[in-house]
Amino acid sequence: MTQAEIKLCSLLLQEHFGEIVEKIGVHLIRTGSQPLRVIAHDTGTSLDQVKKALCVLIQHNLVIYQVHKRGVVEYEAQCSRVLRMLRYPRYIYTAKTLYSDTGELIVEELLLNGKMTMSAVVKKVADRLTETMEDGKTMDYAEVSNTFVRLADTHFVQRCPWVPATENSDPGPLPLAPILVISEKDMYLVPKLSLIGKGKRRRSSDEDAAGEPKAKRPKHNRDNKEPIPDDGIYWQANLDRFHQHFRDQAIVSAVANRMDQIFRSLPVGYNISKQVLDQYLTLLADDPLEFVGKSGDSGGGMYVINLHKALGSLATATLESVVQERFGSRCARIFRLVLQKKHLEQKQVEDFAMIPAKEAKDMLYKMLSGNFISLQEIPKTPDHAPSRTFYLYTVNILSAARMLLHRCYKSIANLIERRQFETKENKRLLEKSQRVEAIIASMQATGAEDAQLQEIEEMITVPERQQLETLKRNVNKLDASEIQVDETIFLLESYIESTMKRQ
Amino acid sequence: MAGNKGRGRAAYTFNIEAVGFGRGDKLPDVALKPPPLFPDTDYKPVPLKAGEGEDYMLALKQELRETMKRMPYYIETPEEKQDIERYSKRYMKVYKEEWIPDWRRLPREMMPRKKCKKGPKSEKAKDTGKGASLTNTADVLKKIEELEKRGDGEKSDEENEEKEGSKEKSKEGDEEEDDDAAEQEEYDEEEQEEENDYINSYFEDGDDFGADSDDNMDEATY
Repeated sequence: MTQAEIKLCSLLLQEHFGEIVEKIGVHLIRTGSQPLRVIAHDTGTSLDQVKKALCVLIQHNLVIYQVHKRGVVEYEAQCSRVLRMLRYPRYIYTAKTLYSDTGELIVEELLLNGKMTMSAVVKKVADRLTETMEDGKTMDYAEVSNTFVRLADTHFVQRCPWVPATENSDPGPLPLAPILVISEKDMYLVPKLSLIGKGKRRRSSDEDAAGEPKAKRPKHNRDNKEPIPDDGIYWQANLDRFHQHFRDQAIVSAVANRMDQIFRSLPVGYNISKQVLDQYLTLLADDPLEFVGKSGDSGGGMYVINLHKALGSLATATLESVVQERFGSRCARIFRLVLQKKHLEQKQVEDFAMIPAKEAKDMLYKMLSGNFISLQEIPKTPDHAPSRTFYLYTVNILSAARMLLHRCYKSIANLIERRQFETKENKRLLEKSQRVEAIIASMQATGAEDAQLQEIEEMITVPERQQLETLKRNVNKLDASEIQVDETIFLLESYIESTMKRQ
Repeated sequence: MAGNKGRGRAAYTFNIEAVGFGRGDKLPDVALKPPPLFPDTDYKPVPLKAGEGEDYMLALKQELRETMKRMPYYIETPEEKQDIERYSKRYMKVYKEEWIPDWRRLPREMMPRKKCKKGPKSEKAKDTGKGASLTNTADVLKKIEELEKRGDGEKSDEENEEKEGSKEKSKEGDEEEDDDAAEQEEYDEEEQEEENDYINSYFEDGDDFGADSDDNMDEATY
């Protein structure tokens, strides 16, 4: 794992789980697989803290364990899975677009808790939905169950591997750690549950309990001591399935843009008939983007979507766009030229791009030092003498994509750090504003007059309000940037993964 | 090599024209210091995507951030004692639900251990604490701890088997909850023990780091 990735993982873990979990997680990412005591010793953390941290990390599918020879259990962190935490909003939003609020909350609960039983999810989601409904209305468990089943059928949620039931007649030595297994056919099998019930609103007495100190913490609110019918059957969000969806979305929107261009160049008033569809497909197949390929003529021709090429095109488009925004449109022209012609000499670049030598030189070197373009040596003589060697500029898409991906990780790490810095700088003001809001809320609840409310509001001066506004705007911008950079990360990672698979 | 024009003469080892500089051109300056921290960019960045989806995701992100901090998975760092204990701190403590992991899915060593390292003789101090919830499982748990102290591997395995068996039988309702409560209390005790600066379970007298294994595991010494 590169330093940039480790740094980003560290920031993500710390924001979501606190410093202790961050310390253990980052340590494992850095050092690889390690047993419990070594972790405690190397990080200088108490055994108990390490255990708690590992429990949290394992629960969230960020760390796995394996029993090694000599009876030692080793723990391994999954760096790439940690990085997926950036994408949580996107997963949840996608679930919302596909399965509306119910689906959204199901996926949200699964992501927040790592893994849950179906009955627990259904109950929690029903409660949450009931909170948002009008007084007197409640959400039925059955409806939530249905959505859950649909999510399972379309593979957006999947079962976690579990401990196979051991018969009591086999009293072999208990393993140090359970071996968790799952078979392909069971992965999306929904247990036969009859969940009957409705969501419950949080009673006001519960809200009072919220402020009590630790010692008086009430026991688990189990209204009905029912047995858990699907105990031990845990579910998790299937991130790969979401990724498939994102990829399809990206390709569809890229093609849609393309179709738009083609469409505009066609005469108006076309009715889509079979003939025209045929023409469109042919157009697409001939299109230099090479998304759609025609394979064979059986049944009028089969059209195939070439995923790898599609991803390659998307990655290339990303690179072009970055070059354009960073170095200008002339640079972008040169970049596209080299991309198209594969290998070009200095002189040829100047000629084809019709850009004066000095500028072309300058731009090529800027891109070269940014690692968007590389030099390929082609010796004329066996002794590789530099004066008798061709130096050709070329674009190696895979390595450029890797470079850009690495940059993206750094960018997000910077964005997060800046956001944390901004928040810390204004911590005092933020706390004051929260207190004032709390006071206003409680006063409104007890029915205070407008004049009194006004007085309290004025506790925050006008310049302070402006400061808060600015802070909010900045934090929003930084957050939104994080989300967008993650989109680029997704494209680049998909392309790189697809390329590596083919090798 | 032929082509050396003489010692000390500045000469390029390659054809400078091939790379694009003409002979006699002034080469750009050598950089003598690291690039600035926030370099000027020639071009303004493209504005962020704006739209319903993006707005929603932004709000989600910020909400998630807040929610995560309140979940039981967020482990707070124990703060150092403050000089003046603020009265308000007691009442502003965020109420967090306790989370008990499913021990069946985790390695045995993950379970929090009581002060059983002190030696085989000492009874668990938590015996009195468990007074209210003497269920099968809690009893068996105690027995296992004691047996393990004695280092009797086989027996503890058997006991564990029993425990697993009885656990399966008593999966339903009350017993499970009490078990949870017992575990909860275990956790409580652990946390309260940690409130002071001395971490009990880390190093004990006579506890050789690494040598005393919890479960007869042959640990590799590093």
